Amino acid sequence: MASFGRYIRVVLGAWAFLLIVLMSMPSSAQQVNPTASSVKEQQLLQELNRIQGRVSIPDQRSGVLEQPAGRDWREFRNVTLRWIGGIAIIGMLAVLVIFYLSRGMVRLESGRSGRSIVRFTPFERFVHWMTATCFIILAVSGLNITFGRPLLLPLIGFEAFSEWSQWAKYAHNYLSFPFTIGVVLIFLIWIAGNIPNKLDIDWLKRGGGMIGHDHPPAYRFNAGQKAIYWIVVVGGGAVAVTGYQLMFPFYLSGIEGMQIAQIVHSVVSVLFVAAMLAHIYIGTIGMEGAFEAMGSGTVDVNWAKEHHSLWLEEQNARTGPNEARSQPAATPAE
Amino acid sequence: MKSFLLACIAAGIFAVVAVVVLNTIQEPVQRAFATSGVRL
Repeated sequence: MASFGRYIRVVLGAWAFLLIVLMSMPSSAQQVNPTASSVKEQQLLQELNRIQGRVSIPDQRSGVLEQPAGRDWREFRNVTLRWIGGIAIIGMLAVLVIFYLSRGMVRLESGRSGRSIVRFTPFERFVHWMTATCFIILAVSGLNITFGRPLLLPLIGFEAFSEWSQWAKYAHNYLSFPFTIGVVLIFLIWIAGNIPNKLDIDWLKRGGGMIGHDHPPAYRFNAGQKAIYWIVVVGGGAVAVTGYQLMFPFYLSGIEGMQIAQIVHSVVSVLFVAAMLAHIYIGTIGMEGAFEAMGSGTVDVNWAKEHHSLWLEEQNARTGPNEARSQPAATPAE
Repeated sequence: MKSFLLACIAAGIFAVVAVVVLNTIQEPVQRAFATSGVRL
């Protein structure tokens, strides 16, 4: 009888030990009950990858309350993007200021001939300026979305910032349409002159004539202008596609797709802005006579000879050198 | 200068056309997200 009592005690002790071991196992192996009021938000995210419920409105996607990718995206938007944009834009401005102070304006070395040649037709200039005007407004209103809150809001206050941001967003949305039309037209009207060739390698090796007083030969568009063309076409195309994806939410993708679209849109945009700063620089104060090409549509023959010698030869062979118009008074670009 | 001004006018016209077209084809939020059980 005594041995039977000892046997019972051993069995009960073993069961008690087993129960303690089972209870002390890691909590992650337990099944999470999402409806339990004691369940933690972080625990739910780990188990379910997103917190989603049911909603009574037709759009069932609005039932997603939280998803981990959204936190990564918010971190990118609030921190990483500002660093990328700040470095790209301020870095480019710094490079241009240093370059201007050290090199100065690229002068017309042979002086003005007094004769001009048509560089861009009125339609080409119309397309350029429509795209450029829209781009500037899109850039300013887009940068406001990324940098407005930390930089502009403390300066002008909540009310003014709210009003400005609302109108900037309208402008950003609606001017995207003429901008996209402009990018498509730019692609079509200038594609023939912007196919890269061997001459571009030589032009790049010689620094495009920007350093020193070299004048590497070029056809209608040199390697630098071709680079700008492809940045506009590819970059403009990318910001247009991703922008419309954001403008029409959930038509093309879910929330993850739109987060990727926003990342592509914003990164390409800030790099686009940096590249256009260089384009604006060289087209205005960076090179004597360059602005006239898009301003009046004509350039001085000596300018064409120095910067686009092969294009000038082509034009002369086609129309004859005497086709160039005489200019009554030479006006510098600056 | 003429090309620039025409470009600005054209950009404005395209933008206004976009406003009109989008306002025509898109449902207002009050209609798109309302049901018999929910009114916005």
